[in-house]
Amino acid sequence: MSMSPASRRQLGMGLLFLAPNILGFLAFTLFPLVASFGMAFTDWDVQRHNLFRDDPLRFVWFDNFSLLFTHPDFYHFLGNTFFLMMGLPAAIGGSLVAALLLTRAGKSRLAMRSAIIMATVIFLLSSLVLTLGGADSNGLLFLFGSLMATVLVFGAWSGGMLYRTLFYLPHFTAGVATFVLWKKLYNPQSGPINQTLAPLLERLATVVNGGGGWVLGAVLPALLLGAVFVAVGLQVKRLRRKIRDGELGSITRFAGAIGVAVPMGLITWWLVGDSGLGWLAAAIAAGVMLATTQVKPDPLWRNRVRAATGLGGEMIMAMAVITVLAAVGGIAAVGVHLPAMAADGLEPPNWLGSFQWSKPAIMIMALWAAIGSNNMILYMAGLTNIAPELYEAADIDGASRCQRFCHITWPQLAPITFFIAVMSVIHGLQGGFEMARTMTAGGPAGSTTTLSYFIYIEGFETGRLGYASAVAWVLFALVFTLSFLNVKFGNRYVND
Amino acid sequence: MGYSFRRKTPVKRLFLISFLVLVTASAVTFWSLPEQQSDRPILYWAVMPDPSKLAVREAFYAWRAELGFEPVELRLDAANRDLTKKMIQGVSGVGSDIVDAGGLHMQPLQNAGVLMDVTEAAAKYGATPDKTYPGAVSEMVFNGRQYSFPRNVVANALWVNVDTFERHGIEVPSRRWTIEEFERIGREFVAAANPPEAKSRVYFTSYIPRKPMRRSLGASYFNETLTRCTLDDPRNIELLERVRQWVVVDQLAPSREAEKAFEVDGSGFRLKAALFHRGNYGMLYLGRWALILLRELEPVKLTAVETPHGGFPNIDINVGGVGVYAGSKRPDLAVSFLGFLTSERYNNLVAQTGDSLPPVPRFTETETYLRPAGHENEWGAHEVFSESARDIGIGQPSSPYVLSSITLRVEVDAYDSMIAGRLTPEESAVEAAWRINREIRITLDSNPALKPSYEEALVRQEQIDALRAVGKLVPIELIDNPFHREYYRHNGWLAESPSERLGDDV
Repeated sequence: MSMSPASRRQLGMGLLFLAPNILGFLAFTLFPLVASFGMAFTDWDVQRHNLFRDDPLRFVWFDNFSLLFTHPDFYHFLGNTFFLMMGLPAAIGGSLVAALLLTRAGKSRLAMRSAIIMATVIFLLSSLVLTLGGADSNGLLFLFGSLMATVLVFGAWSGGMLYRTLFYLPHFTAGVATFVLWKKLYNPQSGPINQTLAPLLERLATVVNGGGGWVLGAVLPALLLGAVFVAVGLQVKRLRRKIRDGELGSITRFAGAIGVAVPMGLITWWLVGDSGLGWLAAAIAAGVMLATTQVKPDPLWRNRVRAATGLGGEMIMAMAVITVLAAVGGIAAVGVHLPAMAADGLEPPNWLGSFQWSKPAIMIMALWAAIGSNNMILYMAGLTNIAPELYEAADIDGASRCQRFCHITWPQLAPITFFIAVMSVIHGLQGGFEMARTMTAGGPAGSTTTLSYFIYIEGFETGRLGYASAVAWVLFALVFTLSFLNVKFGNRYVND
Repeated sequence: MGYSFRRKTPVKRLFLISFLVLVTASAVTFWSLPEQQSDRPILYWAVMPDPSKLAVREAFYAWRAELGFEPVELRLDAANRDLTKKMIQGVSGVGSDIVDAGGLHMQPLQNAGVLMDVTEAAAKYGATPDKTYPGAVSEMVFNGRQYSFPRNVVANALWVNVDTFERHGIEVPSRRWTIEEFERIGREFVAAANPPEAKSRVYFTSYIPRKPMRRSLGASYFNETLTRCTLDDPRNIELLERVRQWVVVDQLAPSREAEKAFEVDGSGFRLKAALFHRGNYGMLYLGRWALILLRELEPVKLTAVETPHGGFPNIDINVGGVGVYAGSKRPDLAVSFLGFLTSERYNNLVAQTGDSLPPVPRFTETETYLRPAGHENEWGAHEVFSESARDIGIGQPSSPYVLSSITLRVEVDAYDSMIAGRLTPEESAVEAAWRINREIRITLDSNPALKPSYEEALVRQEQIDALRAVGKLVPIELIDNPFHREYYRHNGWLAESPSERLGDDV
């Protein structure tokens, strides 16, 4: 069907308006994308293929990819990337907590009262730390304590708007500026974090060396390790119930097993110092988990359960379990080694300069940035969309706060959690460049080099554009695979 | 109702206004470009516009005026000094006319063809390699062609804060000293400077220079023909064992971890200079340019010593090379800048400001250099840098088969892993050598054009090894590594004259 002159003019006018955007997309997105795909199969090296060198570009098929998969650094940096991603569950949980707090702030007098109580507690704790550590050298800490209290009090008083803005501050502050700020906070000599920790650790060393080592080095770790085993038991119980109820498929059990096996391996390694025993412990834990969760679904659900039912949700749960158990087990391991460490006194860590601390330091900073991010805004939007009738009905039924959250809020937020999980995994895999570039230059000994920073090093420092493109496309494949798994198995529907 | 193209809707007006604003802004931007504003030709130089560079610019103008050359405008560009920016802008055709190509920057820029071959053009202005330090030539000349001329030469030695040593009652090391003396004096120093109740650590030195120490034991990054990394040499392993002892146990120098702790609040060198001045470091490993930083502080009594040696005294030289961009619109003007670098005016300026060594050695024999007025506390230190550079200075080892930036990164990562206790010294050395050799293989696989020269170098390496095995002299032309040339010369293993090349025994 031919178009009328008027329609053609309209179309032309529409395209004219769209042209800047379309041209921009073609020139700066589509073309580089296609070009980088082609480059990944060539030996493009900026030192040999440029305006001043006329070396012919060679098509090398999959050489760049095979080089990558035999490159020991690739696995190291991939490991770094995944390690840093272990903070994602905490970041998502933090965003949800912040959103819950912020949607409540200003709505009731209760919120105001809670905020003031929190502010007072923080203020008191700060003062306590000051007293313990010697107030003269900790003026900064006093300032931070006061600042936090002020934020909370004024936020609650102003009805939440200022409060929300302040929480969102990390997101719209320029990345480099926040990284420089954190670099100052982490300064081992003059940073407020270590200024606070130093006197506390000094006191702790005195306590440990003065006879308290038995409590901190044996009793506390035993209690914490006991808590880990109790948590594992609860996880087994939970998995068995869910499998029986047809909420989890047979493959999904593996996610649950991994969620326990990884921290058990890590804890063993930290406690014994032998990575071989760590692997063995992880294998045993996985075996035990698989054996104990070998139950059949109830006949009512048997025909509805597929092998991968609930896999997405269980993967997120596994990440959360890994994070929590590893954190608790890590503290227990530190406790075990504490008497030996305290013999010469305890010193606060060199956060960004130490091989062992650099990754956790970056995770803490990323957590701070992630809590007050778009995730929080999305959760806030999701929370306002939950029908109040559901809560009213729950109130009538006498549901507790915890039950209201577990059976109404959390299921109703499922689509948002799904979206946030997908986006967080994508950002997690692509992330780490700015932080590495600004704060650590990827060091020490490559401990903070992520895949995105590796692409930068290979592409722009070494000049191997073809190889860097191959790394970028492998990263894309990873992102795509994980996103596909998320979409395929993730729980994205509200459980009505 | 039909849509009329001629009808002026608000959206159309907005579109038209936006279009006109963009066109006007583009025109204003174009007409405000420096090239449109200045009546003189403009040269760009990507360098930090600190006071010493501003003084250099003024001196360049005066030099051109003196010689009756056409006036130019030299613009200092602070934003594009980073190697990645130089490289990407350079290969894209928009590099700065004058390129700072010293240290790690030289090799990739030269490889990429970003630097102009200035062999003939620089000779016209007298900026030839024979005008500067012999140790600097390996960083200026590739395959017999010249690509840069130094704007300064950095001879890295150890500054000594004499006041700090006197305060702790420790003897100041002699100018040339051994590794054993370094260890002994260092242990005495840290014991005296760090009483049990002391809160902040005082270190003997800001840094332990592994490279010249390794050379002094007879080991290097690469073999004689630069075809293989030799960091797994037992002599390097021995050095690493000692360094680990000095850093981790004796704490003669801060670990890189501790160094970074200091650096967090500063730009690194400035803070190191301040800590040295304050007495936190007894010695500071830096070139003469440390004076730019130290002169901002209250004068302290200074002297300098060479890096300690294990039999073969040497110091590390970095060339602050300046090249001309191959895509420069006015290469003739840019090359004249290299000529300016050989002038008396410029060399005296470097001598005065303390920005390392003047590129032409004879200007280090003047009163201006040796006894600068108003800086009596430095007298006696200046000659350590100039004489060491001239007599025992060795340039950077760079292999054509692997980028120096990769070599450095791998070596530092392996070293960091050793200091962090993740690798033993032997594992660290083997790991570094293995990775660098792997990079060499990757380069050769991806760039077959290098293979003939590599094969030829391998043959020469076999010849060298065979001659050495039977105790015969090795002809100098067989050796590419500047370190090995000096090391062989020092040990009397080098055949430099035709009579020596007849295969005399050592």
